[in-house]
Amino acid sequence: MLNIWRISWRNITRKKKRFVLTLLAIIMGTSFITAMLIADRTTKDVFDYYEEMYTGNADFWILSDEHTYPEEIINTVQNHQNVDETFTALDKQTFLDLPGEYSDSQLAVRITGVDNQNSNLLKLPVVEGELDNEGLVIPETVADLLHVDVGDTLSFREMGEVKISAIVEYTQLLSSPGSWERAASSSFRMMAPLDLLQERAELNGEISYIRLSTLGNDEKLFRDIQEELSDSRAFIQPVVADDRQSNDVEGLYTFFYLIAILTMFISGFIVFNMIYTGVIERKKEFAIMKSLGYGQISISRLILMEVSFIAMIGTIIGVPIGIWLGDLFMMTLLGIFEYDMVYSLNWIMPTVISLAAGVIFPVLFSMFPIYSAGKTSILENLKMGANTSSNEKVHWIRYVIGFGLLLFFFIDSPVSYISLILSVVMLSPLFLKIFSMLIKPIILLCMGHPGRMAISNLRKQLYRNANTATLLSVGIAVILLLGALSDAAPENYANQIKSNYGGDVRLTAEKPWSASDLDKINDKEFVESSTLLTEATPITWINKDMHLRQFSIMGVDQNSLYYDDFNYTSFENNDTLSIILGERAFREWGGKIGEDIFVHTPAGTKPFEVIDVAATSHYSGYVAFMDEEQLNHQFGWENSFDLLIHLDENTTEESVRNALWSEFGGFLSKMIFVEEEIASTTSAFEGMNELIQFMLVLVILLASVGTANTLIMNTFERTSEIGTMRALGFTRLQVKTMVLVEGFLIGLAGVLGGLITGLCLLVVASNSTLIGDFVTVYLPVESIILTVTAGILLSLIASWISSSAASKIDIQSSLKEG
Amino acid sequence: MIKVSGLVKSFTQGKNITEVLKDVDLKIEEGEFVAIMGPSGSGKSTLLQLLGGLDSPTNGKIEVGGKAISEMSENQRTIFRRKNIGIIFQNYQLLNNLTVEENIAFPLYADGTLDKEKMKEVKELIQAVGLNELNKKQANLLSGGQQQRVAIARSLVNQPNVLLADEPTGNLDRSKAEEILLLLTQFHKKNNQTIIMVTHDIFAAGFADKIILFKDGTIEQIISREDENYAQYLANFMA
Repeated sequence: MLNIWRISWRNITRKKKRFVLTLLAIIMGTSFITAMLIADRTTKDVFDYYEEMYTGNADFWILSDEHTYPEEIINTVQNHQNVDETFTALDKQTFLDLPGEYSDSQLAVRITGVDNQNSNLLKLPVVEGELDNEGLVIPETVADLLHVDVGDTLSFREMGEVKISAIVEYTQLLSSPGSWERAASSSFRMMAPLDLLQERAELNGEISYIRLSTLGNDEKLFRDIQEELSDSRAFIQPVVADDRQSNDVEGLYTFFYLIAILTMFISGFIVFNMIYTGVIERKKEFAIMKSLGYGQISISRLILMEVSFIAMIGTIIGVPIGIWLGDLFMMTLLGIFEYDMVYSLNWIMPTVISLAAGVIFPVLFSMFPIYSAGKTSILENLKMGANTSSNEKVHWIRYVIGFGLLLFFFIDSPVSYISLILSVVMLSPLFLKIFSMLIKPIILLCMGHPGRMAISNLRKQLYRNANTATLLSVGIAVILLLGALSDAAPENYANQIKSNYGGDVRLTAEKPWSASDLDKINDKEFVESSTLLTEATPITWINKDMHLRQFSIMGVDQNSLYYDDFNYTSFENNDTLSIILGERAFREWGGKIGEDIFVHTPAGTKPFEVIDVAATSHYSGYVAFMDEEQLNHQFGWENSFDLLIHLDENTTEESVRNALWSEFGGFLSKMIFVEEEIASTTSAFEGMNELIQFMLVLVILLASVGTANTLIMNTFERTSEIGTMRALGFTRLQVKTMVLVEGFLIGLAGVLGGLITGLCLLVVASNSTLIGDFVTVYLPVESIILTVTAGILLSLIASWISSSAASKIDIQSSLKEG
Repeated sequence: MIKVSGLVKSFTQGKNITEVLKDVDLKIEEGEFVAIMGPSGSGKSTLLQLLGGLDSPTNGKIEVGGKAISEMSENQRTIFRRKNIGIIFQNYQLLNNLTVEENIAFPLYADGTLDKEKMKEVKELIQAVGLNELNKKQANLLSGGQQQRVAIARSLVNQPNVLLADEPTGNLDRSKAEEILLLLTQFHKKNNQTIIMVTHDIFAAGFADKIILFKDGTIEQIISREDENYAQYLANFMA
């Protein structure tokens, strides 16, 4: 056994440069796959972790459409035999009392009073101090911003001082701004003991909600409590770990897998190239082995062993690099989000999968050469020797299929993307042929005869060179599409937010807006108009996979300012219970228009007919709309905590902010201007762009390894030919130029092909009903410049290795080979 | 005129040094057709490569047309070669992905001197070697004899003063070999070029004016066609 491994090692290392490049391709492929799998799992873990931390172990919660409700309402609830544990909370808006020049909006703080900081229904990861149910619990970001520590006191307007007893890391419950700029638009969040808050806020006996965990038989308990609360303003809802309203990260997972598949495809092709050329070169050797009694299977097994060997070496090196890369990727990725999230790398399963994939994918891509080695004909090869030139006969079938697949361009289906990429693969030799014909005059003018020879060589190994250019094209096209989506998305989001935000500023209060509040607001000089926004939240519902989900339902009527994107008359014409879903909610639900969605209402679970899908920016489309009257009737939701205001054009944001906070600061919890909403929604895309550009360079780098590999093979096969050229008067410099031009042309063809394909993918995406609204046919100039520069430069660097080797070819020995 | 004096060429492999040419002195006049013969490993091909500037000598001096190519850099030798020397190889060494015409014009392309006038000369050469109808055909699709005709035309395209031929008929049968040798003789007479041909074949050597017999890296004998004992010397040597 040892002997066979030794022979395999000798065989795969026979061509040193080719071996190194192939190993590099496997290492890069495996490390990218590992990194992307780690990123996928770790990201899911991070969001699950924070979601679980928010929901705790609670099964239900009881809340009301009033700001608070009397604690006594739920006294009977706590006595249910199936209730295991409860946790009671009260939210209160106030202001920090700090010295210095801060506006009211910056000092706004929302304190949540809880009856037990150590409750099992609450997860607070303590960084410093302890949860003693006596002091204040603040998040780390706030402690850093205010320069306070455990034991220090914080002062609040009209509520006095409270000592800090613990500092905790980021949790959704206490998510707070990390800078004074961010503080202008969102409140700080802190936690205090319930009785202390009730006393200081003069809200004795009042609570905002109660969470409870059960001992089983949840359904009966749910129904019982629902019945008990039927006469009150409080209602029960299951606690659902679903934060899709605040996080739109599904696209990220697709991105991870796309990159992993892409790198695997490119690496696989490089491996195929190496093994296939090796097999062609060694046909004579196989013929001799066969003549000495080796069978087809034995020879195929030998090649399989060689491939497995190199794959194992590549994987062993690639996976640890991938783990490191995954960690780096996660740091960059989570840096995009505005909160200081922590993560622990989920690497074990991705490592196991990558170890398997790292060995399997090179073997899969080498199946044809492995088979071909076994099929070597003794007589043909011993008589004629190895034939390494490619068949230049035009494969019309390939081209016909390629053109056929192009027809998918006109079809609105996800399959169109794959078809387009496949058609690029099929048509690439034709493209390279036409491209070389068109560019020939320029190359001849600039590079003279070496350029002529380069073009001739390009056509000689047309299929291999075309495949190499295709690697680059596909990589560039896919990343460009992602780049263009990410580039165009902020503008599209901004337009969409502006069109259906419903006003210039949205005010969220912790108590319902009263008629007198509205009068006061409408009397302000800077207010042109205002409208109440009724939002019932959280409302739980069941998707088609029978999983519980939660979102907000917004009430709309004829006068609503934010229903531009769907037809309100749909409600008027409908006699049944009806609902309109936002796009993401519709996708998550999984049904069709006309079908019923099951929603938990205070009167039990009811079916609502889905009558339309709305393209809305509210909660990134993870929301539903209902006729306001129906919302009131079905959910008993009569109060509005949100108010949308249209401002006078000449008003400044700061003056509005100061005026509103000073007058309504006592119960105002959020004031978000449309520009802030846009900035907050689109800020992640800037980070994503950097990440995508980083991936773009990495994919081009990997494709360049393919170019280097191909050129080394091309040069190796032409040793005798290059020797002849040298003998006939070609200088070293001319040989070098010739190979460099070859590399340059492969790179340029790949880049151009990639740009064209990317643009086509973009057109398909912009015409698609699924994502068309968020895509405009747009040229991401920055990405294009980066692509062209990196693609051509890296191709030139890749061809430098071969060009140096080619120029050093010894004339006499190469002539002997010929 | 080609002048070789004190020419030594040795190859090193590990600690072993093999001296292939040992202090060779030689003079070939302009317009002479010389055949070099000798057993395998005698150094005849190495001499040809050194004369063509494909390699540099370990010691000694080589002058071609008054230019000391042994003192030139590799790049200078390459440029000198493409302007002054034509080479014919035993296995033709055509560039398979080029057509007949492109193969023949290759040295002119490399030199950057291909213009309409030269292209006309290329076409005349194609006609002269009898490949007029095949000029657009790819080289690898030709027969052995046709390929060697292309190689001859290619070696003549830059109108070299010196033509070096390494076993030009080694891969051909007798009738094809004769055709090639007649072609070479025809061009030799027409252009008065110096031809140096390495061969194992006494029939081929018979076309030369002078035969240099090589043995163990040194010149054993030089026989001129005018010598009285020409045939006897040759027979003895080959025996």
